[in-house]
Amino acid sequence: MNLNLRLLAGALLMLPVTMLAQSPVSGFMKAKGEGSITASFSSEKYDEVFLVPQKVDGVPVFNEVQTTSYSLYAEYGISDNFNLVFNLPYIKSEGEATPETLDNLGYENERKGVQDVSLYAKYRFASTATPNGMINFIAAAGIETPLGDYRADEGLQSIIAIGNRSTDIAGLAIANYKHNNGIFATGQIGYSLRSNSVPNALLSELKLGYAASKFYLDAYIANQLSDDSGVDILGEGFNGFFPATRVNYTRIGFNAYVPVYKGIGVSGGYANYIEGRNLGDADGFNWGVTYSF
Amino acid sequence: MKNLYKYTGIALAFLGTVLTTSCETDSAYEDEPASIAAIAVANPAFTTLEAAAILGDVAVTLSNSNAGDPSGDFTVFAPTDDAFARLGLEETTLGVLQQPFLKNTLLYHVSDGNLLSGSIMDGGTASSLLGPTRRFINRDGTLYINGSEILATDISASNGTVHVIDKVMIASGADVVQTALALNDGNVFKNPELTFLVAAVVHAGLVETLSNPAASYTVFAPTDAAFKTLLGGDPAVADDGLLGADYTGMPSDITKLPVDLVTTVLAYHVFADTANEKFTPEMNQGPVATFQGENVTLGAFTDGVLTVKGISNATPANMVIPDVQTTNGIVHVIDQVLLPTL
Repeated sequence: MNLNLRLLAGALLMLPVTMLAQSPVSGFMKAKGEGSITASFSSEKYDEVFLVPQKVDGVPVFNEVQTTSYSLYAEYGISDNFNLVFNLPYIKSEGEATPETLDNLGYENERKGVQDVSLYAKYRFASTATPNGMINFIAAAGIETPLGDYRADEGLQSIIAIGNRSTDIAGLAIANYKHNNGIFATGQIGYSLRSNSVPNALLSELKLGYAASKFYLDAYIANQLSDDSGVDILGEGFNGFFPATRVNYTRIGFNAYVPVYKGIGVSGGYANYIEGRNLGDADGFNWGVTYSF
Repeated sequence: MKNLYKYTGIALAFLGTVLTTSCETDSAYEDEPASIAAIAVANPAFTTLEAAAILGDVAVTLSNSNAGDPSGDFTVFAPTDDAFARLGLEETTLGVLQQPFLKNTLLYHVSDGNLLSGSIMDGGTASSLLGPTRRFINRDGTLYINGSEILATDISASNGTVHVIDKVMIASGADVVQTALALNDGNVFKNPELTFLVAAVVHAGLVETLSNPAASYTVFAPTDAAFKTLLGGDPAVADDGLLGADYTGMPSDITKLPVDLVTTVLAYHVFADTANEKFTPEMNQGPVATFQGENVTLGAFTDGVLTVKGISNATPANMVIPDVQTTNGIVHVIDQVLLPTL
């Protein structure tokens, strides 16, 4: 039972990463030689934008933006205490600007392509048994860098850019508690150094969940606080270059996973921003298929 | 003891997470005033202005402090969507305008520094970033800038002040003739306009007169459609216009008319008082003497415009584009050719 639980939890914590929302690094470790691969799909939409000082109705130029992404996500245990995490999304971002507006501005309603590849290494440096469970302390470091040739410097066209063209180096500290009854909690906090004028950011996430042999569910709250060197959209210092904007958010979501057959399982999730600055108030679903080995 | 240490560590980690997750609330910046550009984007009455500012390439300018003024501020007279709609303009139709003209038009609504309503006085003027000054008019207690009624005042922005107006202000930066030529050449609307009027001015030899920099004209400028109706009549009826079967629908049709007639009709479109240009709020119902000698009759000042009727017109003409400021007068584009006693 304990072993099953560990395997299950290990397999599914590599759930698909919703865009910008959820830490790619979980609080669980793969055992040596074990891994998982997840193919996922997510779809988000927004027609309101968190600007300063208020949320506004209607995305400038594009009215409404729909983002669809397909991700390949993998985790592998080099050892019981050292895992690698890989993620690569392909993203399509579509606006709803009128044909006349597109014609006037020379814009297009679609931007798509391979976005940023990310690779994280995570190391469990301490773990201890508690009377009814286990606590793990994990340090993780990773890099995310553009792989596709998408652009982020097209002025207001880049409202629907698929990324910032920033290379990020992030460090994360993670604490994970798992009770023997299946309930777990993971807290993580990290800092991300970013290029291409993108403000560095403090990242944090708190996740509560339940993992049993036939079912997994979690709910999380994720937060990004950008360095105040960033500018506000349409605020002082804004020059039409969106990567330089100060993007903060608080996002909540949940994920569910069900093993289907042998090492294969399916997952689904939902996420929504509850607060933000300089980004669209998106919400959407994600679906994934995971193969664990 | 070791466990206590670990539990404390966990508690701290979770506390840190909770604290940071709770930081992103609007309370951190809800008191910050929005920039002028952000006000336009946030306000549903300024949808067209928002699109115009983007197309006219002033959105970034109006997001930032004014580097051209020590105060760092701008004052913007912001036309509502209804103001743009008077000219047939909305987000999807802004493309009928040439982009440089649109940009200049927007800059005509902007000035350096904070001009608050308390310092707006009848007869006062305010310069614009475009160059030409705007005039303030008090008509029966209502304040106007040029021909535009000031609907709301002193909206405070992080980078200045916004006042709301009910009409788009237009300044050509050129004299009456050059203004008509700019329309004729497609430099304002992408489709040429006032082409018959320009042909008429040339045919009548009035170019020099209407270019007089010392004058301060008030001119009614009939659209091409107005001339076509006069010369060609009802498109559904053959040869019922002034030119009969000679009508081709081209501006050169004007040259088929006697010079004296064209001169007389054109002179009937200019106020006799050539020293005091009139914006719409400065006009009153009743007869007004023209340069030609006879009177035109102005209708009531309603919704910011007046009708104007010539002696031989069956119905009054409406203003299509009122209050175009030129360097030597004000042009009101109208939808009929005004006809004196013929």
